[in-house]
Amino acid sequence: MNFIAAAIIMFAASLGAGFGMCFATSKAVDAAARQPEAASKIQTILLLGCALAESTAIYAFVVALIIATSGGPAA
Amino acid sequence: MTKTQIIEAAVAAVVLAACLVLYILNAKKPPDENGKKPKGKKFAFLGMLVSGWFLVGLFITVLSGKTGKLHIAFEMFSERVDVFGVSLAKTTLTGAGVLIVLILLLVVLRLTVIRKFSVDEPKGAQLALETVVDFIDNMVRGNIHGYQPKALQPFMLSIALYMFGCALSELFGLRAPTSDLTFTFALGLTTFVSMNVYGIKKNGVGGRLKNMGGAVPAMRPLMIPLKAVSDISIPVSLGARLFGNMLGGMLVMDLLKGVLGGYASGLPAIAGLWFNLAHPGIQIYIFVTLSLTFINEAMELEEA
Repeated sequence: MNFIAAAIIMFAASLGAGFGMCFATSKAVDAAARQPEAASKIQTILLLGCALAESTAIYAFVVALIIATSGGPAA
Repeated sequence: MTKTQIIEAAVAAVVLAACLVLYILNAKKPPDENGKKPKGKKFAFLGMLVSGWFLVGLFITVLSGKTGKLHIAFEMFSERVDVFGVSLAKTTLTGAGVLIVLILLLVVLRLTVIRKFSVDEPKGAQLALETVVDFIDNMVRGNIHGYQPKALQPFMLSIALYMFGCALSELFGLRAPTSDLTFTFALGLTTFVSMNVYGIKKNGVGGRLKNMGGAVPAMRPLMIPLKAVSDISIPVSLGARLFGNMLGGMLVMDLLKGVLGGYASGLPAIAGLWFNLAHPGIQIYIFVTLSLTFINEAMELEEA
């Protein structure tokens, strides 16, 4: 039961984080293509934004690990 | 040695011998008119590489007596050991060891390399050190606007060095201290403390409260508690982010070693370069940048 819960958590979280990073990257590519001289600045912002978008998935990963490894009522 | 291992070894040896013969036969052929080497040579070399790797892996497996079965022991928190009656996590000891090694290295650097620094003719080690220091310096100057605290660059550089040393300790087969929640939370706490210290140092206690309350004076009683909650969540989020990333890297490496079983002699070393060096490098960059962003935010004072 715990593993199913962990699987659902990871499914939803990675879906959201993936969409977030995909939007951010597509916009960054647009911006870098329009203004190649600003590419290094855009890269820094993109890296930071991707880290923030990714962190939701990372939190979910930590929670899923806690749930999967804890005894829990049903395990 | 079991029967299947003998068969595997025999097959690998036959393939190795065949590839060797093919390689020697093809080695004398001259390249064709386009300057390309004969294709058989390339394939023979690849076959030699793969079968040789297989043989060496099998040899190591037989010697170490471990079977190639998938077995992953995962623990959220590190094992504990008794040190003079005090129960300590193993990662704490690793962290202390990393700190000692780093301090010794830096003392040696200070006594040998830095004495030979010259302004006119910078060489090797000096250029490398200057690149690192310059990188952190640019990061701090780029992220902190206005008042520049002098202690911020050494502080961020030492945090980055410590985290890098912790990531390196994983290459020696130890559990990295950064994959322990208490350690990463402590790192996040340093950011929290320096945020408040620098905010109060620059603007005073009243200024820090103004900074937390926002630009509109009437909204401040409502905004300050909300901002306090979001400030307290900063070390939690920094710590959990670092912990999750490092633990994820460690788990991927464990899975890879578990899947490869006894043949884990070549591939994990290459994958480890990414998961133990490049990936922590990105995380260090993000940690330092986010810390600087938060510190800058705490020092800004909006004029109403």
